[in-house]
Amino acid sequence: MRLGIDVGGTFTDLLLHDDATGRTWQAKTPSTPADQSVGVLEGIRLISRIAGITPNDIRLVLHGTTVATNAVLEGKGARVGLLVTEGFEYVLHLAKSWTPGPLFGWIIMDKPEPPASLDDTRAIAERMDAKGNVLRALDVAQATAAIDALCGSGIEALTISLMHAYANPAHERALGEIVARRFPDLPVSLSSDILPEFREYDRTITTVINDYVRPVMRRYLSRIEGRMAAEGMTARLHIVRSDGGLMSAAAAAERPVHTVLSGPAGGVTSTVMLARQTGRARLLGFDMGGTSTDVCVVLDGEPVVSRTTEVGSFPAKVPTLDVRSVGAGGGSIAEVADLTGSLRVGPRSAGAQPGPVAYGRGGTEPAVSDANVVLGYLSPTLLDGSMQLDVEAARRAVGALGARIGLTPEQAAQGILDIANETMLGALRVITVQRGLDPRDFGIVAFGGAGPLHGNALAAVLGCYPVIVPPRPGVFSALGFVQSEFKNEFTQTLIRTAAALDEAEVWRTVDDLSVRATAWLEAEHIPTGDRRLSAVIDMRYEQQGFEVAVALTDAAMAARDLAAVIAQYHRDHERMYGVRFAVPVELVAVRVIAAGRTPGLREVAPQVAPGTSRTGSRPCFFAGAWHDTPTHDRTRLPPGATLTGPAIVDQYDTTTVILPGHRAEVDAFGNLLIWPATEAK
Amino acid sequence: MQLDPVTLDLIENALKNARFEMDEVVRRVSLSPVIREQHDEFPMICDAAGRMVVGQFGSYIPGVLERYGADLADGDVFIWNDPYACKGSISHNNDWCVMLPVFHQGTLVGFSSIFGHMIDVGGKVPGSMPADARTIWEEGLRVPPVRIYEGGRLNQGVLDIMLNNSRTPDTNRSDMMALIAGCRTAAVRVCEICDRFGQDVYVAACQALLDRTRRAMAVLIAKYIPQVPVSFTDYVDDDGRGNGPFRMTLSIYRDGDIAVFDWTGTDAQAEGPINFLIHEGLCKLFFGVYMIMAYDPEILFNEGFYDLFRVVLPEGSLLNPRFPAALGNRLNTHTRFFDCQAGALGQQAPHLSMAAGYGTSPHFIYTGQDADGRYFQLMELLFGGVPGRPRGDGFDGHAWWPLFSATPLEYIENYYPVIVESYRPVRDSGGAGLHRGGCGIEKIYRVLAAGDVSIHDDRETVPPWGINGGLHGGTSSKHIIRAGSDTPESVPSKIDNLKVMPGDRVVFRTAGSGGWGDPLERPPASVARDVRYGVVSAERAATDYGVIVVGGQADAAATEALRATQLQARGPASKFDFGPRPQTI
Repeated sequence: MRLGIDVGGTFTDLLLHDDATGRTWQAKTPSTPADQSVGVLEGIRLISRIAGITPNDIRLVLHGTTVATNAVLEGKGARVGLLVTEGFEYVLHLAKSWTPGPLFGWIIMDKPEPPASLDDTRAIAERMDAKGNVLRALDVAQATAAIDALCGSGIEALTISLMHAYANPAHERALGEIVARRFPDLPVSLSSDILPEFREYDRTITTVINDYVRPVMRRYLSRIEGRMAAEGMTARLHIVRSDGGLMSAAAAAERPVHTVLSGPAGGVTSTVMLARQTGRARLLGFDMGGTSTDVCVVLDGEPVVSRTTEVGSFPAKVPTLDVRSVGAGGGSIAEVADLTGSLRVGPRSAGAQPGPVAYGRGGTEPAVSDANVVLGYLSPTLLDGSMQLDVEAARRAVGALGARIGLTPEQAAQGILDIANETMLGALRVITVQRGLDPRDFGIVAFGGAGPLHGNALAAVLGCYPVIVPPRPGVFSALGFVQSEFKNEFTQTLIRTAAALDEAEVWRTVDDLSVRATAWLEAEHIPTGDRRLSAVIDMRYEQQGFEVAVALTDAAMAARDLAAVIAQYHRDHERMYGVRFAVPVELVAVRVIAAGRTPGLREVAPQVAPGTSRTGSRPCFFAGAWHDTPTHDRTRLPPGATLTGPAIVDQYDTTTVILPGHRAEVDAFGNLLIWPATEAK
Repeated sequence: MQLDPVTLDLIENALKNARFEMDEVVRRVSLSPVIREQHDEFPMICDAAGRMVVGQFGSYIPGVLERYGADLADGDVFIWNDPYACKGSISHNNDWCVMLPVFHQGTLVGFSSIFGHMIDVGGKVPGSMPADARTIWEEGLRVPPVRIYEGGRLNQGVLDIMLNNSRTPDTNRSDMMALIAGCRTAAVRVCEICDRFGQDVYVAACQALLDRTRRAMAVLIAKYIPQVPVSFTDYVDDDGRGNGPFRMTLSIYRDGDIAVFDWTGTDAQAEGPINFLIHEGLCKLFFGVYMIMAYDPEILFNEGFYDLFRVVLPEGSLLNPRFPAALGNRLNTHTRFFDCQAGALGQQAPHLSMAAGYGTSPHFIYTGQDADGRYFQLMELLFGGVPGRPRGDGFDGHAWWPLFSATPLEYIENYYPVIVESYRPVRDSGGAGLHRGGCGIEKIYRVLAAGDVSIHDDRETVPPWGINGGLHGGTSSKHIIRAGSDTPESVPSKIDNLKVMPGDRVVFRTAGSGGWGDPLERPPASVARDVRYGVVSAERAATDYGVIVVGGQADAAATEALRATQLQARGPASKFDFGPRPQTI
């Protein structure tokens, strides 16, 4: 049995799958932010009860965690020491010198303290040049003295990041060995291990973040493993990486920076799996939660992997599923600006506490969820009746806001939803049209607590149909974890102009990396038949700042044909940015990605009698008027069932809105598909 | 035309998204680090009358339209770089500006435009900004507004002429294409908005967005601009030809509902290239954006409020020079413009008051031939002290200019024959204050190939001032240490053709910035931290802040006693601290 665990800000979602019977169970339990492992264990017990098993029946635990991200966002990471090349002690302090726009943006800029303090930064006498030649030999005596002073001062982890270490890691390794001899218990990361790429600030901050979250992650993992053992469990624990792959708990303890987007990765993986399941190769993932919305794009049944992401205000250059996050969710607060009278939604959020006004927990400012309540989209009772909403309070709050700008409560509620949707549309445009992709070629998968409420409205603007609401939108991320593959990436920076290329060197690099990748698959006990290796070369026009990753096709690999790869680069650049140049192309890095397949998830759709889903009706406001709108129970919609909009589909932890002028049908896998009424299948 | 407030907000958001998409496209496509890594490019989207609805600068389209009138077609793309041919819409030849009319279903609905800094446009020195130029004829090729695309067809002749006059044709070509790609992206987005909401709704929304910002500005003017004039004077060090300092004086007052910004008292135009030919509209925009950023940064930054401002720019002055005055090095004057603005506005409203920063955009340009005989041209913008501000401390070695960022040292060393030996804040160059001014930076370049260096800098003789009790910051300096020598030789702030040989080191120290608020009120722990961080010396902690730092911590008793004595001796803090200025002022 496989168990996926998704720890969110409010709830911990679990999804258990029995490969033998094809049965799946889900559970939801409050998260325990002080020590997430408490909630995780509670969830394991709960889902075991629901499924009628003992925890030891679980073979694999696949865990997406926000422990690393939260430590950075809340400034609660470890005290990290930093060794840098003399002359560059201020690398984190000066950062990129960036200040925000427009003119005078610095007036309102807030700059967080870097995750390694200048108090804990020491200069090392040494220097490499860009080619990896030693310009100044490492002064071992000076280095040893600096290490003794720093490592004995109470730091909890150490980063070593020297100039041009990506080109020659010798000095970093020598320092690492000195530390290992003198402070064997201190966790140490080398920038040349964590990110062997040029750009000193990016490399240093990424490595420091790794160390900043490492002790936190270690503690968390050992607690969770301890609790599982105490529960009599022998399941293997795997952590989901930011690129959607799995890593062992031991590897996560060494390189937690690879987990900074572990949480959102589940939704992407699920979207990919849905693409493969339904044969729809192009999908947008739309995960709307309480405080934020994550969107992603799936092309040809594959996710887009980005080379960089941001954790709070710090960049982290690690392979990451390309998820665009915007601060608009069900809890986003609506307000009217003083001077201009414009309606704004977010980025402030009511969060789980006090929550939207309708929750009756003390919230007074109207949130997006309140607008959904006012318009009748959200049922007055949620979570199978265990939560009662205060509809009148929501209406009063939204109405008061509307009165300030001359709108009725309904108009104001509609306005709040439209503005929130526009923010999310902006994010969806960034991942599609900005890359030369037409959203009308895509379907959109709506999930998360609020995704199915808004999905249809977004599709109506973008023209991306069908809207696909999976059977369990609330635990879609946990579902993704259960289906994640083992994955690791092996990189070598190789800055070479294509004009004077030693092709043998490139292929030798590919081969070397492949050997390392295969050894890793071996170590992770991946059966030979489930292994997959793929290679990419990062290229750009000479001196350009951004690379395009060009995949090595089987044909190019077999023929060892670099010219074809370079030709592909020109085509990709033109497709993405509309231009190609006659200037020389250069290679920047070679990467080999190792993957170990996980068995797919076969879920048996529940058998229910057709025509039994109708639960009643409630008034909903659409297009300027109230309509008595039929309501349906999602669990009683069998494959083949059809609905005509307007309609509302309620289920345990989410609600789907089907707008007027649309129709919906349930496919063979239990997905609810929404189309414009006029459009043929 | 019925326009509901929500639709208006939707269009505002859609336009903002489009404007950031322009940045992103330019950043991805361009080759030169000046545009890509340092973001020296400025996009905007205008209405059909050429008024900026969203963007950063603006106001120049009408000046260009005068020349072409209604003679615009779908697929046209205009390009120009001559400041005199567009009334100062751009202010030196290095900025190539592209603009295209946006047509929706055959009707002109607006313009999109971006200008970006080209690393070379010809002229007598690499980088095209000769520090000693006396006329604009020395500053490279001047292109009046012409069509680079006509009805979608590339005007190859124009492009060939422009590239033939640059030392860096490949880079310019790709950077120009990047700017055009950005403008086209905006045009597509504008048409999508028209499709979605209706063309008439879009046009009405542009007007409403301009009106909305105007109403907000009217409130700000009534609240913060006094009827009695306030004045402020600051100085540019020199003009690169041995003249200076140059005085700039701004008086601000309210005449009914109109805010008046009067530059009478500003020195006559300079012989050297520090003249700043500024379009009157841009001038208004600069005042407006300052007030928006200081009061409510969420207000959409556009030019709806122009009729609420009146600007006096005396003809023949530094800010309104007569053709063919040289303009290449105008950033010093440009920045002093902002310093005067902050000094004048800040006198009435402390929360609008910012101290002075590093006061220019320091340039380092290094050209020559590398070991393979290939021509190289490194151009780098440096940063310095970002001032103390009401919100908190300034920043050490950060960009005063928006969205700029430092080129990675490892990038520079990969592509140019240079080693950066160190990169550190200049200790004690941040003016003391309740909120400390940011420090300048010291960057030491060791060159590996024979070549020429150009430097542009300022604030070497006239320090950045402090405000509300804050003290002035440190000045800039440039030195060269020849190979085999240990003796630094001083290099002027504005110089070209400085011959360098392998092993020579250039030590570039930018200016810091002024402090904000009374330094005697700064928490001693913050001063002690600054001492530990190496950005304030223990001596200056005592003299400027009255804080005694021992072993990295503040001595509470000694600090209290010293501060009492200093307060007694000083009395109330003065509004401004200008520091030591040249005798000639």
